[in-house]
Amino acid sequence: MIGETKFSKLRELIADSSEKDLIWMNGYLAGLISAKVQEEPAQKSSSIQKLTIVFGTDTGNSKKMATSFAQRLKKNGVQVKLQGLDQYRLSDLIKEEYFLGVIATHGDGEPPAAAKKFYEYIHANSLSLTNLKYAVLALGDTAYPLFCKAGEDVDSRLKTLGGTQLLPVEKCDTDFEDAANVWLENVLKTLSSSSTESRIVPTPSKKTSGKKTYEGTILSNVNLNGRGSAKQTHHIELSAEGVNYEPGDSLGVVPHNPAEAVESILSTLRINGTKKFTYRSEEFSLSDLLRKKLNVTYLPERVVNKYASIVQQEIPSIRMDLLNLVKIYPVKDETQFEEVVEILDPITPRLYSIASSLAAHENEVHLTVVKNCFTVNNEVLQGLCSHYLANLPADSSFDFYIHKNSEFKLPAADKDIIMIGPGTGIAPFRAFIEERNVTGASGRNWLFYGDQHFESDFLYQTEIQNYLQLGTLTHVDVAFSRDQAEKIYVQHKILKQGEEFFNWLESGAHIYVCGAKSPMSDDVENALMQVIEKFGNKNAEQAQSYLNQLKEEGRYQKDVY
Amino acid sequence: MSTNLSIEKPIEKNLSPVEKIKKESRGLRGSIVTGLAEEITGAISEDDQAVIKFHGMYQQDDRDQRDERAEKKLDRLYSFMIRLRLPGGFLTPQQWIATHEIAGKNSTGVIKITSRQTIQLHGLIKSRIKPTIQAFNASKLDSIATCGDINRNVLCSSHPKQSPIHKEVFAYADKISTLLMPKTKAYYEIWLDNEKLVDKSEEVDPLYEDRYLPRKFKIAIAIPPNNDVDVFGNDIGLIAIIENKKLLGFNIAIGGGLSTTHGNKNTYARLATVIGFCDSEEKVLKAVYEIVTIQRDFGNRSDRKLARLKYTLDKVGVDWFKQELKNRTGFALEEPRPYQFTSRTDYFGWHADDGGLMHYTMFVENGRVTDDENVKLKSALLEVAKTGKANFRFTCNQNVILADIKSENKKIIESILTQFGVIQSNESASALRKNSMACVALNTCPLALAEGQRYLPQLISKIEPLLKKHSLENDEIIIRMTGCPNGCARPYIAEIGLVGTAYGRYNLHFGGDRVGERLNKIFKENLDEESILFELNGWLGRYKSERKTGETFGDFALREIKFN
Repeated sequence: MIGETKFSKLRELIADSSEKDLIWMNGYLAGLISAKVQEEPAQKSSSIQKLTIVFGTDTGNSKKMATSFAQRLKKNGVQVKLQGLDQYRLSDLIKEEYFLGVIATHGDGEPPAAAKKFYEYIHANSLSLTNLKYAVLALGDTAYPLFCKAGEDVDSRLKTLGGTQLLPVEKCDTDFEDAANVWLENVLKTLSSSSTESRIVPTPSKKTSGKKTYEGTILSNVNLNGRGSAKQTHHIELSAEGVNYEPGDSLGVVPHNPAEAVESILSTLRINGTKKFTYRSEEFSLSDLLRKKLNVTYLPERVVNKYASIVQQEIPSIRMDLLNLVKIYPVKDETQFEEVVEILDPITPRLYSIASSLAAHENEVHLTVVKNCFTVNNEVLQGLCSHYLANLPADSSFDFYIHKNSEFKLPAADKDIIMIGPGTGIAPFRAFIEERNVTGASGRNWLFYGDQHFESDFLYQTEIQNYLQLGTLTHVDVAFSRDQAEKIYVQHKILKQGEEFFNWLESGAHIYVCGAKSPMSDDVENALMQVIEKFGNKNAEQAQSYLNQLKEEGRYQKDVY
Repeated sequence: MSTNLSIEKPIEKNLSPVEKIKKESRGLRGSIVTGLAEEITGAISEDDQAVIKFHGMYQQDDRDQRDERAEKKLDRLYSFMIRLRLPGGFLTPQQWIATHEIAGKNSTGVIKITSRQTIQLHGLIKSRIKPTIQAFNASKLDSIATCGDINRNVLCSSHPKQSPIHKEVFAYADKISTLLMPKTKAYYEIWLDNEKLVDKSEEVDPLYEDRYLPRKFKIAIAIPPNNDVDVFGNDIGLIAIIENKKLLGFNIAIGGGLSTTHGNKNTYARLATVIGFCDSEEKVLKAVYEIVTIQRDFGNRSDRKLARLKYTLDKVGVDWFKQELKNRTGFALEEPRPYQFTSRTDYFGWHADDGGLMHYTMFVENGRVTDDENVKLKSALLEVAKTGKANFRFTCNQNVILADIKSENKKIIESILTQFGVIQSNESASALRKNSMACVALNTCPLALAEGQRYLPQLISKIEPLLKKHSLENDEIIIRMTGCPNGCARPYIAEIGLVGTAYGRYNLHFGGDRVGERLNKIFKENLDEESILFELNGWLGRYKSERKTGETFGDFALREIKFN
């Protein structure tokens, strides 16, 4: 610990600081520490010769971190094997000695798609990993209820299988870089036999979120779909002073629950909305809590189960809205509802691919948000966040943060790009095209776009027409699925343009796919395979390795959801 | 008659841009095929928009949605209007069924009967043009030359009871239409996927050459005493001369045309001048053909606003024109024969012709065949067509005649019409409404300055109480409205004409006669609805109390009003 004098000064400073100040200081100190650590002469880690670093990523953050670890270790003379978990040979695991995992968490505690095979493999098999000395860096987002769950699961499973934990699992929020670097130094210290220093820099068990938030003010909010469309896709323009992002990045936002839903819950509970409640050691009025903090719709089974045990009633283990729970299985009194509040998850943030380029719109962020509706048990449910955003009027504001996506980035200015983005998949490509238009990038740009109807659903039609006229867009191919008897999608257009498409690939073009993961991105990938087979004169296996090669070179990038 | 009149063909300089487009269109092909394949816009190129008119189509866009779509970053909502070539306005029941289906599949669904006795469909998106034309073709229907600088759909008095020789006169409409068809095979090549001609000599067009006409060209045939075709509003009007149930020939009138331009004093509406009489079919066709060639050679090709035959005729004079026509045909026209028009309205309800066949003329407000909450007109006509017991004839007042019905089938047709509310609505419509006509105007016509067919029905609902007040409900006053001065609904030869000048504003014209032989005049300019109703109330009241016996509203207005 630090001395009494220093500590009292620190407390004074803390008492005098706003939350924002503290967040800043936190980041500053972390940065300072990691910079100092890096300045220290390289550790003599004579005891380690070889080490494996694996990463499980969807957005590229884990890969980025793992890569920087690998570079640092190589400088220290360690032989590093760096691999994505989707590429990792599972049978190698029992042979590993030193093993570092950087694992992201998605959705409700899920591992990223790329780590799924590994995750299932270690859980399904009783391996003996007694040689394994490992440490897991878990990346996540504190805004999600099951924060860093996938990383934690991997860590505890490896332990169960006999592995030796070098360090407890380190859980990082979206501002992971500083904490991750500190963690690596600690790992290195632990590994280094020559290290006399036994002290480990403590990491706080409860993290305060240090991600930079911006206040966005709605400049305009327009439904892009014309009359008669089945869709409502909003183009939302925000102004946000000092905002910084690159084409391909996303915006994260925590939506509010609809006021009417909150009203209904309050009136069912018969508790005054101004009544104060504590949630995760912070105090809120109940209406604020229900409106802005707690997820009240479509609660997961595990929350429903906890609710059942609080109210001591038999409730089927199915997803339900809080309103229905309090209506059908009422709480006894206010005190009991206090318990219920504790078990509710926070509203999780949603990510939207940014549809603008800062170079074209300084201090602005544009979004393309389709109002989601989905049917569960014959009931039409509205997507919380898309409805929240789409209904925001001009001049209203909300907080957001930028979510970097290093796996979806424009190549060098002279490279050609092919963008495949039906529906709201167009969003990052609007950013790409704007960026390349403003910067005068010399590479050619080919856009594949599709939706249901030409008349009403051609998002950004006039802009696309203008870019084509300007020459910023070299080709545009569109597919409108419901304007004719047979359904036509982007993959059909790719096949139709197969020869030219392959010529672009051969001359070094980068392919980008954005939009629905399934079936769109699968169908597109199939089409790519067919094009490569047919026009590259290859068999299926050769085509697959051609495509793998593209992936490895970063020339085939996807942002699918 | 002097034969030394010498007028040089105009030197072709300062040609209007459309002239260049026609000449370079490779037989009206332009780049239409490329434009159709362009997927990111619903439009075709500007040049092709001029060319596609010759194929019977106009590019339009929904003007109601322009601002809204611009904000949504959506291009204008482009679509095409297609107009059929129906000489004399005739469809078999099978053709009506086909049209009904095509309209439902490819257009807005409304079948619009035009003031030129044909039908048109609106709202075809680019990709639906080809299937539409192919489906029409399967029913032996086409849209060739129904728009553009060329002879348009040929009109003929529509009602078979008009004369025992109606059929004989009616046949002329088709003959003239065929005579004046362009020779290019572009229509078949582009829309019907016919093979491209290797030998282009088949396409050599001695009539239109490669420049077509300076402007649109309209021909109508009237059978007196009814001038339902507004024969004097056409570039060529043929008036059938009949004696003792025998067709002797036709008086030929030339130089009619109604379109004007606001603020352009050089433009004017003009009624056709009767220049002579022709007896045989051969001579009639020859005369018609050469009138067209004279217009081709002497029409104004630099200013499209002054390019109709009426301006050519006024420039060269009637005498010179007749001489030139004689030079070209090799015969002189005879002196015009006497004729008399006594009406211009349709024969509503049931009428028998000389051969005993029955015909039911129904009022179709503004020619829009559609189903609304009161009258299921479109469904009714489909059911009628399905019986196969009635032909379809269209009138120049935008109405439908269910024609050529055997008397034993009258009951079946009548019961269908009653079932769908058609007869009831016809019987309850006022005489003014039945004699009203408006053009399409907003929201699709690119020329419209004000509303037309969407507004006139409402205005008439406000005039009807005035008629009732002055006990004029049964007076067949002819009222017509257009959204711009081009005159598609022929407002300049109505007793009450309303010509749009701006949104919600109209010039009010009075003084046309009832049979279409006299142009009306501007009474007051730029009136809004309130002022229109105020003026009509006052003048209808005076007409009721001060008119002479048998005097029509138009004649009364002409007598009483001091026009500027």
